[in-house]
Amino acid sequence: MSEPLILAVPSKGRLKEQVEAWLGDCGLKLSVSGGSRGYMAELKGAPGVQVRLLSAGDIAEALDAGEVHLGVTGEDLLRERGGDIDARVLLLRALGFGRADLVVAVPKSWIDVETMADLEEVGHDLLARSGRRMRVATKYLTQTRSFFARHGVADYRITESGGATEGAPAAGSAELVVDITTTGATLEANSLKILADGVILKSQAQLAASLRADWSQAQLAAAERLLRILEARAAARDSATLIWPADPRDAGVVEALVGQGAVRRPNGLLVAANRVAEACLALAGAGIGPVTASRPDFVYEVGCVSAEKLRQRVEI
Amino acid sequence: MSAEPAVPADALAAIRAPFLAMEAEVVDAPILQPLGLLLELAGEAMRARLFVVQSEGGQETCLRPDFTVPVVRQHLESGRSSGRYFYEGKAFRASPEPGRPDEFRQIGLERFDDGAVPTLEADAEIAALAWRAAAAGGRGGLGLWLGDVALFSAFVDGLGLAAPLAARVRRAAARPRLLAGELARADQPPAAREAGRLADLLAGLSEAEAATVLEEMWALAGIAPVGGRGPAEIAQRLIRRAEAARAPALSADQADRIRRFLAIEAAPAEAFAVIRELGGAGLDAPLADWSRRLDLMAAAGVPVGQARFSAALGHAFDYYDGLTFEVRSAALHGDRAVAVGGRYDSLPARLGGAAGSQAVGCMIRPWRAWAGGEA
Repeated sequence: MSEPLILAVPSKGRLKEQVEAWLGDCGLKLSVSGGSRGYMAELKGAPGVQVRLLSAGDIAEALDAGEVHLGVTGEDLLRERGGDIDARVLLLRALGFGRADLVVAVPKSWIDVETMADLEEVGHDLLARSGRRMRVATKYLTQTRSFFARHGVADYRITESGGATEGAPAAGSAELVVDITTTGATLEANSLKILADGVILKSQAQLAASLRADWSQAQLAAAERLLRILEARAAARDSATLIWPADPRDAGVVEALVGQGAVRRPNGLLVAANRVAEACLALAGAGIGPVTASRPDFVYEVGCVSAEKLRQRVEI
Repeated sequence: MSAEPAVPADALAAIRAPFLAMEAEVVDAPILQPLGLLLELAGEAMRARLFVVQSEGGQETCLRPDFTVPVVRQHLESGRSSGRYFYEGKAFRASPEPGRPDEFRQIGLERFDDGAVPTLEADAEIAALAWRAAAAGGRGGLGLWLGDVALFSAFVDGLGLAAPLAARVRRAAARPRLLAGELARADQPPAAREAGRLADLLAGLSEAEAATVLEEMWALAGIAPVGGRGPAEIAQRLIRRAEAARAPALSADQADRIRRFLAIEAAPAEAFAVIRELGGAGLDAPLADWSRRLDLMAAAGVPVGQARFSAALGHAFDYYDGLTFEVRSAALHGDRAVAVGGRYDSLPARLGGAAGSQAVGCMIRPWRAWAGGEA
């Protein structure tokens, strides 16, 4: 039997639940199978795919190193791998969950600091006056460095933080932080504020492919099958099917709706979900009806955009 | 990770010979250097180039990226006020381009003097040394590039800018984006800022009163002050920032002069004529120093007539605060200099040495100097 396609999904926490729900919604059920500690799983409905359960950070590393073919993890963690990550990992689909922003946050009491330019000046003043560099607590070294460099901020030091980064200013181990925030509540609780131009990355969970992994034709085919299912489900969420009794008067108004992006069906139209009412009213206005609108479960296009992107970038 | 091939022994000896002729004390430096200290001195931008090494439970260290900092520290530990030190060995920097070596040989010399020694002689001696060693490598198409970090500072002083603006412009010389931003703001009306009224209020108070007002304000707003900046410092900066916002930005003429100054890249005589025109009488003294420095270099055998003066050279390195120079080869891209050096008087003081000491040094990469070396 040929080698399976390896898909890495988060092994714990909220992200794991969200990924399971997303896959489940696509009709793919994750079932823990092999491995004594349950770190292997199968995806029912996607043969030829072996699932590995890893922490989100390990998934970013495994994608970068080519140890897995596909993986679901946060864009922030992928970007933190450094260098030209887009040459090593291909982002296939933003998943709309796991949202978090990587931000520069300073103490609220610094009412004289609103922008990165203020921060540059404060860092310089501190170094000139005390000979010490302003300390930035973070575990996102790579992105902090490149973002600060882009803003001309040079007079600072990074103090690496394992956890509870937001507490560093209160604890006196750093002056400011670069950290992930979802609601801002933790920053608020630690008397920190985000700089006006201090959002480094608006991150969310991504389905990504490793360009460094060894890809066989069979693995690419398995990936394409999986991507088609995911894409078909995503397309279905944005579409609605309209049907009505055959009516010779429909030609003109249907032509007009097709011109606005609807797709013709033998007995009706496929329209964007947010345009259902508009289309139905237009049909009714032409004396056509009753129109039944329903939501499809899957919409399979002839081509699969993400699979084609992947095929173009992967070397076999 | 890749290492440079070795330079043949006779070629290496030829490159080393001018250094040995200086009769400097031979020093070595530990391969493992304290990471924190280097980042503190050179800034976080350096981290991407360092090989970080850590033993279990040990202090974070890195493979030595150069010899200057350890040699300065050894000199300071010796307690002497002057000294000349020769070093040779491998240095380690992660190459920004894949395929280039990140382990390479350096030969260098650092010279420390107490304040009494004329700096121009020392500058000329070290630049001439770098030139001789580079020439001994046998590569054709060598050129000497000269710069002066202090000259830009003096030039900015002569523009008569408000202090915060002058400080920003000086810092911007090493940071293209900051500079572009500052130049783009030229002739723009000052931006109105919300905190301006508070700053006006604070400006009328003593430092202690201003700090108290700020603390009361935090208490009212329910803000717990965290981080290493006290109310007095923040109040002072609010006032300064408001003043700076009210002060005019660079005028179009000033911006134009800064742009033209930093773009200067010409034969020294031509470059200094332009600088005199741009900078006015305030630069007479440093330019007279340059004329003397060039004479001394010429007397030491450096073909200064073919040298280039580049006003922007060396600003990117945090150490240098005076003369900077590079020996480049036409066969290698400009960012891969054969030899580099300059004056860094303030570094010993930052490492705990006495203020007012003098330091100048140079370093050559034999693999780049040797005619059969780097391509």
